Amino acid sequence: MRPPQPQGPPRPESSEDASAQALAEALRSSFLIVRVIMILLVAVFLFSGFFTVGPQEKALILRLGRPVAEDESALLGPGPHWAFPYPIDEPVHIPLGEVQTVTSTVGWWKTTPAQEAAGTEPPPGPTLKPDQDGYLLTGDGGIVHARATLRYRIAEPGLRYKFDFSAASNAVQHALDNALVWAAASSTVQITRDSTPFREKAAARLDQLIRQQKLGIVVDQLAVEVKPPRQLAADFDRVLQAEVQRNAALADAQQYANTTTNQALAQAHALLSLAQAERKNLVELLSAEAKRFSELLPEYRKNPGLFMALRRAEALQRLATNLAECIVVQEAGPGQQRQIWLQLSREPQKIKLPEPPKTEHVH
Amino acid sequence: MKRNPLTIAVGVVLVLIFALLLFCFQVRKGEVALVTTFGQPTRQVGPGAHLKWPWPIQKVYKFDQRIQTTESKFEQVQTADGFNLLVSVYVGWAITDPELFFGRFGDSLARAEESVVDLLRNTYSGVLGRHPFSDFVSTDETQLKLAQVEQEWLETVQAQIRTNNYGVDVKFIGLKRLGLPESVTEEVFKAMRKERQLQATAIESEGERQASDIRSAADALAASILANAEAEATRIRAQGESEAARSLAVFQQEPTLAQFILDLSAVEALLKERTTLVLDTQTEPLHLLRGAGDHTNAPATNAPALGPRP
Repeated sequence: MRPPQPQGPPRPESSEDASAQALAEALRSSFLIVRVIMILLVAVFLFSGFFTVGPQEKALILRLGRPVAEDESALLGPGPHWAFPYPIDEPVHIPLGEVQTVTSTVGWWKTTPAQEAAGTEPPPGPTLKPDQDGYLLTGDGGIVHARATLRYRIAEPGLRYKFDFSAASNAVQHALDNALVWAAASSTVQITRDSTPFREKAAARLDQLIRQQKLGIVVDQLAVEVKPPRQLAADFDRVLQAEVQRNAALADAQQYANTTTNQALAQAHALLSLAQAERKNLVELLSAEAKRFSELLPEYRKNPGLFMALRRAEALQRLATNLAECIVVQEAGPGQQRQIWLQLSREPQKIKLPEPPKTEHVH
Repeated sequence: MKRNPLTIAVGVVLVLIFALLLFCFQVRKGEVALVTTFGQPTRQVGPGAHLKWPWPIQKVYKFDQRIQTTESKFEQVQTADGFNLLVSVYVGWAITDPELFFGRFGDSLARAEESVVDLLRNTYSGVLGRHPFSDFVSTDETQLKLAQVEQEWLETVQAQIRTNNYGVDVKFIGLKRLGLPESVTEEVFKAMRKERQLQATAIESEGERQASDIRSAADALAASILANAEAEATRIRAQGESEAARSLAVFQQEPTLAQFILDLSAVEALLKERTTLVLDTQTEPLHLLRGAGDHTNAPATNAPALGPRP
């Protein structure tokens, strides 16, 4: 903008001209600025329609408040996308792949993870206070503590989870609490020993609730922890000890049983072996004798008396060589003295006879 | 000043936007809108873009139509059989009739929630008082009536909400906690303690019994193994004897010889080791010694085989 030139006295026309010109020029340049700003604004407006969908999620575009489609075809996968800027389009991110976690502590005593880790939980009182101590009632009229951690994902397309619940994770939390209450109500205190049936019941009830209330989630994992009341820890331990003792006693008895049976089997085996041996001996002996008999029979038949006398004498002779000592006693006949002949051992008997053997006749 | 077409276009766009803002409104999924004309509800609309007359002629109220979950306090009720039970429930409810809802609560969700909880509290004794304690906890699943209790409760609450024209509907009701009055928990502990003691004793005695069963079974088994073995041994011996009897046929040809041979063998077997033999002179051939006392020289001459050796 040029400043008006001080050339003599200013004429009215020329001064009007100059000011109009100046105004026009000012307007023109400001219009230029406005135009640039407008183009920039439009560019920013359009550019603001870009959005990115993360790897663990999907997105859905609401056009004028309504989803562009009600099924999975409307879901946009991970990557950059463009939609009309608000208020025409509104991208809604749904964390479909992301694992969400809810924890139920309605059945657990009041504690914090820090206290638990440090072991500084306040000691249990003699009773359970309804406003502080969570617990579950079991079917057999007992009390147990139980808590659960549920890991779940949103089921595709996730519209129900996102648009039908003001806070779906709260609804899931309530369902988990309810599942624990139900599962405990039909269980016994025994679930403190083995929580598997309890977990299964809770999982079944949770599935039922997910279907009934159409929570639109998929259960990834349900972990439960069940404990007896802290007030009764010692009593529950005693039962465990009793079981350990019983198992030890049973193991002892089993060992005794094995030993006894094995001994009996060994003894039986020995008996049988002995019997077999005896049987074999008897059979062999008799068959040997029979063979000998058959051989001797012709001889015998020639002259039985002589044969037998010879045999006997021969046998006696043979036997005599083996005899340690032989005592011959003669029956005292009438008016006779009794006589005894002794043949003493040819080998010295160490204790009795240190001297060489002698034969003597005793009368 | 020259009229620029661009300026005109911008102007038109601006006017258009302004008009849209005045005459249009958008309802998002999960919401329902109620349009009032001079304060009177005239129309309700679902998700999408809609037209309206600008304020002050028409006004738009939007309501969250999603399910809200609310839980009640832990409260004591008496069961049909006189037990005191502490119960808390959660309830899922949603606005179904924005017009009724608007008439009753304006556009305040919080006030509605309060009313729902109040209404819920009033139904406690009516619903739970009809059931005995065993309907709530029982190891017998046929006795357990939690599903029925929840269903009855839902129906009762739904009916009351309808008669009260809240404009909301209860979608589900579930038990959130069941408990016992504080003083009763101590009694339960006593009972449980006693039960554990009984259980421990039972386990111990059962263990002893089982152990002694195992032992006596083992003893019996051992005895029967031995008895069987003895019987078998006897059988084997008998078999041996019967096998041996086959030899008898051979011996039958000359029993005297057989007897003689067997006797001889027996005697030989008997005298195999170092033996002291005591015989009398009746025995052959020692009968030769008989009368030795009559002949003074007899021993030396008549019994060279068995007599004293040098």
